[in-house]
This record gives sequence, C-alpha cells and structure tokens, in this order.
Amino acid sequence: MTKRFLATTATLAFATALMAGPAAAQNVVTMNTVQIFGTIDPAKISDYTDYMAAVNLYDSLVTVDSSGNLIPQIAESWVVSPDATEVTFKLRADATFTDGTPILASDVVYSFERLLRINQGPANLFAGVVEPGAVTAVDDTTVSFKLSKTFAPFMATVPALMIVNADLVESNKGADDGQTWLADNVAGSGAYLLDSWDRGSQMVIKRYADYYGEFLENPIDEVRWIITNDEATVKALAASGELTMSSPFQSPDTHKALVDMGRFRMESQPTTTAFYLKLNSKSAPTDDIHIRRAIAYATDYATIREVIFPGEPMTTVLPAGFADFWNADVPAPTFDMAKAAEEVALSSYAGQQIPITLSYVAGTLFEEEISLLMQANLESLGFVVTQQPEPWNRVTEIAADVATTPNVNQIFFGPTYPSPDSMFFTQFHSAAAGTWASMEWLQDPAIDALIDQARATGDVAEQARLYKEVQALMAENGVAVPLLAQTVQHTWTSACRASVPCRCSPSTMTWCVTAGPALDPLTEARARQGPALQCARASGATQPIW
Amino acid sequence: MSELAALSNSYQNWYRFSRNPTAVIGLLIVVLSLLAALLAPYITPFPDHVGAIVDFRNRHQPPSLEHWFGTDNVGRDILTRVIFGLRVSLMLAFVVLVIAVPFGTAMGLLAGYFGGWTEIVIMRLTDIALALPPLIMALAVAAVLEPSLMNAMLAIASLWWTWHTRLVYSMVRQIRALEYVEAAETLGASKTHILFREILPNCVSAIAVKTSLDAGFVILIGASLSFLGLGIQPPTPDLGTMVSDGASFLPDYWWESLLPGTAILFVALGFNLLGDGLRDLFDVEDVR
Amino acid sequence: MEFLGFLARRLAWSLLVLFGLSVVIFVIARVVPGDPARMALGPRASAEQVADLQEKLGLNLPLYQQYARFVGGLARGELGQSLLTERSVNLDIRTTFPATLELVLATVFIAFLFGVPLGVAAARWKDRWPDNLVRAFAIVAAVMPTFFIALLLQVLAGYVLQILPTTGQLPTGTEFEANITGLLIVDALLTGDLNVAFEAMRHLLLPALALSLATMGQVARITRASMIDVSRQDYIEAARAFGVPDRVRLFKYQLRPAFVPPLTIMGLEFASLIGGAFVVELIFSWPGMAAYGIRAITQKDLNAIMGVVMVSGLFFVMVNLLIDVLVGFVDPRIRIRGRRA
Repeated sequence: MTKRFLATTATLAFATALMAGPAAAQNVVTMNTVQIFGTIDPAKISDYTDYMAAVNLYDSLVTVDSSGNLIPQIAESWVVSPDATEVTFKLRADATFTDGTPILASDVVYSFERLLRINQGPANLFAGVVEPGAVTAVDDTTVSFKLSKTFAPFMATVPALMIVNADLVESNKGADDGQTWLADNVAGSGAYLLDSWDRGSQMVIKRYADYYGEFLENPIDEVRWIITNDEATVKALAASGELTMSSPFQSPDTHKALVDMGRFRMESQPTTTAFYLKLNSKSAPTDDIHIRRAIAYATDYATIREVIFPGEPMTTVLPAGFADFWNADVPAPTFDMAKAAEEVALSSYAGQQIPITLSYVAGTLFEEEISLLMQANLESLGFVVTQQPEPWNRVTEIAADVATTPNVNQIFFGPTYPSPDSMFFTQFHSAAAGTWASMEWLQDPAIDALIDQARATGDVAEQARLYKEVQALMAENGVAVPLLAQTVQHTWTSACRASVPCRCSPSTMTWCVTAGPALDPLTEARARQGPALQCARASGATQPIW
Repeated sequence: MSELAALSNSYQNWYRFSRNPTAVIGLLIVVLSLLAALLAPYITPFPDHVGAIVDFRNRHQPPSLEHWFGTDNVGRDILTRVIFGLRVSLMLAFVVLVIAVPFGTAMGLLAGYFGGWTEIVIMRLTDIALALPPLIMALAVAAVLEPSLMNAMLAIASLWWTWHTRLVYSMVRQIRALEYVEAAETLGASKTHILFREILPNCVSAIAVKTSLDAGFVILIGASLSFLGLGIQPPTPDLGTMVSDGASFLPDYWWESLLPGTAILFVALGFNLLGDGLRDLFDVEDVR
Repeated sequence: MEFLGFLARRLAWSLLVLFGLSVVIFVIARVVPGDPARMALGPRASAEQVADLQEKLGLNLPLYQQYARFVGGLARGELGQSLLTERSVNLDIRTTFPATLELVLATVFIAFLFGVPLGVAAARWKDRWPDNLVRAFAIVAAVMPTFFIALLLQVLAGYVLQILPTTGQLPTGTEFEANITGLLIVDALLTGDLNVAFEAMRHLLLPALALSLATMGQVARITRASMIDVSRQDYIEAARAFGVPDRVRLFKYQLRPAFVPPLTIMGLEFASLIGGAFVVELIFSWPGMAAYGIRAITQKDLNAIMGVVMVSGLFFVMVNLLIDVLVGFVDPRIRIRGRRA
C-alpha cells in the first residue's frame, strides 16, 4: 500500500518534471563558496562571503575597478580639499534605493553614523580618521567628510561604507539600531535583490531590473551561492551539472578534475595577495638573523609555486602588482641548501640541534604540504621540527603574544583597501603587533617612521620612494620570507563563459572574474583572515575591497 | 586439585573458543593488528615515510607492486602510513578504556552494592551521560580546551565509564541476591571482601566481553574525531586524518581515503568479532 | 493509574537529565580559554569593539550570574544570540533542526523497514545461510565508520553510477518554502508539489542510508534474538500445537512482542545516531543542525554550541520518553515494570 503510493508519487513527479518546459532563458550563475555568509548587514560585514553578498545588495559612494582604481557609484564626482582633510561627494540625482526612494546625502550621514555606533566590521577603518559628526549633508545631493588628520589612504577606504536606506532602517529600528532587521532584510540600492538565504547551505540573489545604474547586454540574472568547502562535493556538483563556477579556493587538483570533465575551463589571474613565511623575530631560534636567512635559503620556492599552490614569484614583501611602489632592485630569494648550511654555521645556534616550530592552518592541505616540505629541508640542516597545525581562530589568539607565536608561520595577506599602506601598515608597523598579520614581531622604529611618513604625504612619488626603502630593509632583516603572490583560479563552464565577457568598467553590469587587488585564500578558516574580495560583484563592475 | 582442573578448564574453554569461527577470526585480526603496530618499523616497506619525507614527483601514484596501497598527496607510501596509523588507533582505545573500565566498574560496584544515595547519585549521573552524544561532547570539549585528539578522547573517557557502570551495577544487583553472598554477609565477611572476592570475579567475564566490544567502538569514534579535524600532529600518520585528507581527492585518487578507511573497519571488526566470540564463550547474553 | 505513575516517573527523570545537561554544558562552555567576543568579531576588530561586545553578551559578569542568565534563558526557551550568524540561536536551530529531524526520521524508518524483516528472516532460518548473512551484515555494519560509509556511498552512487544526488536537500535553485511542518517532504506532499517531494526524497536517500546502516544491523540483530526468544515461549508452542499457520504465528504472535527490544535499543542508540548525523551532514552538505553545530564548534560560538548540545539532549530525552510510551502500548507488561528498573 505504502509502496504503491510511493511509486505513484514518483511516477507523477517524474512526469511533471518532463512536462515542465524550459524556463525563460535566464543567465544564471551557480557558484560555491567555502564558508557561510555570516551577515549581510553592511555595518557588520567582516569576511569575504559577507562582503560578496553585501557588495551586490548595497552600493557605496565610490567603488573600485579590477585594477584597483576608484570609480564613481552613488557619487558621480568628488572633490578633495587642498590640505587633503575634507572630501566632498556629489551624489547622482537619479540614484535610488530598491524601494524606489531617492538616495539622499542624509542617507550617507545616517549610514556612517550607524556604522560607528555599531562599531563592528569596517568601522575600524575610520577609527581616528573620521569622528562621529564629521560627515555632514551639505544639501540633498552633496555630502562632506571632514578628516581629523591627513590620511593618504582615506579614499581607498570609502568603498567599505555602504549606504543604507535611512527611512527604511529607522522604521524597523527595534532596540538595536536595526541590527536584527538588517540581519535578514536588505535596505540598499544594489543591482541585486536578496531572493533566498538558507544560512547553512545557500544564498540566491536576483537582478533588480530597475537598478539606477546601467546593465550591459546579457547581464547575469541570478546568482546562486552554494556553501561547501568540501572538494568532493564541488566535484559532485560540477559532475551533475549544477555548478557553473567554482570558488577560487578549491585545490589545484579539483580545478584540474573539473577541467577534465570537458565542460569547464579554468581562468588564472594574478593577484596582489602575498603568501609569506612569517618568522617570529623575538623568540629562539628565529631571533638570529642567520637562522632566518637559512630558512629563506632552505625554502623550495619553485616546488611550492609550481606543484603545491599556484602563484607568481615574489621578490620583495610587496607583490609586483603594486607596480609603482614595487622595488625592482631587491634580489629575489633563492633555494640553496649549501648557503642555508653556511648561514646555520654562522648563527649562534651552530653545532647544536635547533628546535623550531612550524605553524599552519589546520585542515588546509596545501599548507600542510608546504610545512612538510620545509620540515624535510630543515631537518637535513640539523633543525628539530615540531609541526603546529592550528585552527584559524586559534591563530588569531596565539598571534596576540610573542611567547605563543610560533617560529615559522604561513600567512596570506592581501590589501584590504587598494593602497600599499594596507600591506605595510597592517603587517610591519609596530601598531599592528599582536595581530595575525604581524607575527614577525618586528617592532622596528626605523620602519615605523618610514611607514608613518608615507601615510602623511599625498605625494605619490615620495610614497613610492619610502615604500621601496621599506622593502629593502625588510629584505635585509629577513623576518618575512615572500613565498609567492597568489594566482587565483576560477573554473567556469564553457557555456557560462560565453555569456560573460570579462569587461570591468564602472558601468558594465556583468559578472567579472578578474581578480582585483585583494584576494584572500583558502578554506573556511583561512577565509576568515579577512575580507577578500575578488569578483565579488555579481553586479558586475568590480571587486571592491576594504 | 585445582591446577589440573584449571588446566583442563582453560583447555575446554580454548576448545570451545576455537570451534567458533568468527571468534577465531576476530582474535586473529586483533593479534595481527597489535603485532603490525608493534613491529611497524620492521615490516613496512618505507618506514621513513612516517617522518619528514616529501617526494612530490611521486604524489598520487595508484596502487602498484612497489606501493601496494599507492602514494598520498606528498608522495608517501600509504601502506606504511596505514600500519603506523594503527598505533594511534590502538593507543587511543587503550587510553580510553584504561580510564573508563576500572572507574566505571568501581562506580558500578559501589552503586549496586551500597544502594541508597550512592546508587541514586551514581545512576542519575549515568543517565545524564547517556543523553550526551559522545562525538558531539568530545568535539565541544576539544573545541573549548586545547583542540587535540587526546583531549577529545579524554572527553570520551569521561562519558564512556557510565556504560561499564550500568553493566556492573545490574550484575551486582543480581549477584547480591544470590545465596552465597548473603551467606558471606551473615558470616561477617568485610565489605571489601564481599565486593572484591565474591562479587567482582563474577563480573569479570562480562566486563571482558564489553571491553573488547568497546575497543572497536572507541577506535571508530577516535577515527571520526580525527576525520573531523582533531588529528595527531603531522607527519605522524593517523587513519581518520588520512581518510579526510584523501577524501578531497575522491573519486580520482580513491586509494588515498578508501584504503585507510578499510583499515579502520578491519581493526574495529576484529575487536567486535572477538567480543562476540567471548560473549558466546562466557555465555553472557545481555552484554552489548 | 499505573501507567500515569510510570509516565510521571519518566518525566521526572527527563527533567533531571536536562538539568544535569545544562550544568555540564555551562561548565564546559565557561572554562574556555580565549575570548568568544574577539572570535565573533574576527581578527581585524579593535580592542574597543571587543570590549563593547563583551559587555553586550554579559561575558564580564561573575560566573554564577552568567549561569543564572543562561538557565533563565533556557527556562524561557531562549538560547541567546549566536555570535556567528548574529541571530538568536533559537531561530538558527528552528531553521536547521527540521532538516536534521527529516534525516533522522528517514534513518529510523529505513533502519526498521529493512532491519526488522532481516531479523525475522534470520530467526526463521536460524543457523542457515540467511541467518549467517544477516549476522555478518549486522557485525560489519556496526563497525563501519559512518564517515566511511558516507564516502563510499557518495563515490558509488554519485560518481560511479551517477544515479543519486550527493549534496544538499534539493537541486540548487529549487524554489520551495517548507513552512507548514518544516519537513521538506511532508510539506511538499501537503502542498501537492510532487516534483519537489520526489527530488527531496532522492536527495534524502543517500545520507539516510549512510546513517542507518549501523542501526539497521542492530535492529536486525535484536529482532532476530527476540524472535528466537519469543518462539521458545509456551504460548507459541501452543499455537504451533494448535496448528496455527506459520505465517500467522510468525507475524501475529511472535513479531509483536519481539518488537519491544529493537524499539528499546533504538532509544539508547539515539545519542550515537545524533553523533553520526554530524558526520553525515558534513559530508553530504546537509543543511541541518549538526552542520550548524560543527560550525559553531570550530568558531567557538558558545551560545550556539550550548544550544546544539542542549537540543540534542532534549531530542534524546523526548525520543526515549516517546519510546517508553510506545513500548507500553506494544507490550502492556512493561508499563508496570518500568523499563529501566
């Protein structure tokens, strides 16, 4: 009886499936992400998935194109005062929220004040730079930001301020500044609308046809994100035809397996995300410069880049993608075991067994591979290696104290706003000590001074000179061994690609795969390193970053 | 009298045991696994592959005459690592049981023999422990403390003793009612004498059966935990981690996860069959 | 009356277990080294941001006050705010639990659907090949690591045969809101959306099968044992002597009482079933509570961890209560004896 019922149901369902005609030709992209979307509240977003969603649902005053240039979005133009302490934005008169109401200067003020009140996510970018009350509406379409000090990278941080619909949020304010409401609802002006969101498994956004900006021909109508960081699942989804695009954080083997299926092609894009071995300069034995040099010589760069993790060679602590600021005179590190042995002999630890800890993010297969490679090479030099895999959230904890920071740490770091300041200040300035990005414990006043000078000047040539000097000094002290600049790999179905001309200009509303200045790596844990934003933008244009 | 009788008795037992094919297979597997784990450095083809060795040119090689189980993602021999991985599994089972069995037995004896508040407190504790999924508890505890396999297994041990308590408790309740215990009590035998001389020996076979069955299940839980990311420090091999690492290469390099998985199955099966065999031998039906 | 007393005792037991659970969970959650607020905000947060959140979450209150807050919340059925999803844990669990419930129900269903007949067959042909086969299956199924079965099924059905989907609950992009009972298949059938119901069943099959094998083996083993046990009872002998046909005897007189032990076993197995669901949900990307729990654990999302463990415990207790009642109906003798005596 039950069995018969089931059989009937199945047959019926099958028939229904057959009869349902093909839906209207829609341009749908299905992509996997390696971690969940934590929040879509623009005042709380903190990692790459959060940002990927928010940037499609909300617009900012300005945004960033694929080469890292600022381009207009809600603002059509802006003026920087001569002393660089005031920026005035002129809003587009035709810009509207997705409920049809116009975007006013007061919405910008409200969004900014709300961001500071909640004090999470991107708020720290503005801390000490723009005080509460320093953003004012001059008239309905003019808004002014007064800076409390000269801060050269300020403009680069503006894309992180996403504009919310003040009236809408106010009417759903509740007791927590609309946090509860905005956790599930959108009050923005983005080119896409939130269609459905199942926190553990997927998110779907759909194109908003009445978007005030322009769509290019053949825009993406719908984006479905499937949340899984399991390589086998990604392959299964690809095999069943459900997946049209892989996340950039799959292993090279998975990309290859997808390409082997025949329907997929892979695109590689260089990025400015750097991958380092960060050596704790305040604990034995990596407090000895010769030991640090020995480690740099004992690193098999070519194998890492070519076999384990795709990347471009990196010669200084700054990826060559920052062309204007990159110091070409710094010699590239080399793999040379003989020289490594010489350096060990020069060190104060010569002639003894040298205990050393190698740390990496637990569960990240390629980092384990690199760590094993390092272990094999270091042990032949007389080191006694302890592997220390740590879950990502533990890494942030152990980085807080010099005593708990391991000797050697594999760290990815990409700029969080499109300025070399993001690379230098956040990693090598003393103010950053105690964070995962700064596990070298460098604390070098000379380098601090150079970075501070670069922050305070608006002169790009002078900045370049200062940053090049920092790179030379960093090569000298050897606390951060540059392994590679990440190459990001996306895999697309061929069919999908045909409809996706990769044109990234402000007004093209097409999905773009090009990786921009910031790209963060791998795996659930890893991605929490921070906002990584590539191709986040279904709405086309670009990959904003902060 | 006793020596000869004991001898013929144990011979009889062995005879009955050896007539039970599953039990013998179980014993064989267990002995084989123990030996393999002990002698791993001498019997494995590439004993140095448990240490800091990488050979990227030989990664992902399918099973062959040289590498019976193929090679993994950094080119190490999987058979070697599986055999060494047995060490971790067996050690975990040992650690958990060496804590849980004596403690659980003692609690069971106390609860069953003394009754009253002792019984209520101990048995309600086991009720609570029973309601906690061990895997989830171990994960939660390990997440909260230092995330290591050892911590997770200690969490397992802290729940596992309750099963032995319940077993021993129910046996003590039965045995207590028997005449000879009552007789001993009336004769003024001390409590310790009665507990350890009269009651405990009668529980031993049941405890042995349960311990053998448990060993298999503890190995499974340990493997699940390392599969979920609570493994042992690399490059030391452990089976659950090998399965989970290999799983990202499914289905193309199937040997990297499926063969270590089979090894887990094999060991756990051995202990289970042995336990089953012992149960038939000692005729203790209700021990699971 | 007897039955009511029995129920009351069982209820008291359940409450006690839940209270014990709350203490255990709270103690575990509050010995955490490291700072949940910092972890929630991510590595880029400033010290003020962290202090702010600590205050909001009451992490700077003395321990006993925090426990009072926790238990007070529990009593009102509030599990607090998840640091990870920024929503109340209640809401998170309410949205993820139905998927887990569906998986577990299907698992139990499959386990009994195949386990009982297997056990009956084994008992009917005791010591012949069907018996041996069933016993071998039961033993192997019991020691197959759940993750290993799941991976095997995934490779076999998903890649080699390519007959069943291996991820999620529905094909991506299926538009369907399960908002009547929350159970996808049930709601799809209720709304007459047969296509969705069919797809949901297809997706459910592999994970439920992976999770059910061990239980199925247990059910078969216990059914077999109790069938044999019952067949030795006098009234069966009498039925045989009176010439009651084999089939009638087997199903009417033997199976019903023989049903009790597998049901009881089910109750005890339940905790490990929930544990197994953690692994299965992860492998099959099943959007359930277990997957949520794993995330909570890796991110040290304390409220969510406590919520998930608490709800798992509650689930266990409820199921056991339900089984007690069921067993009472199937076999009236039990009501009076109480099964945990």
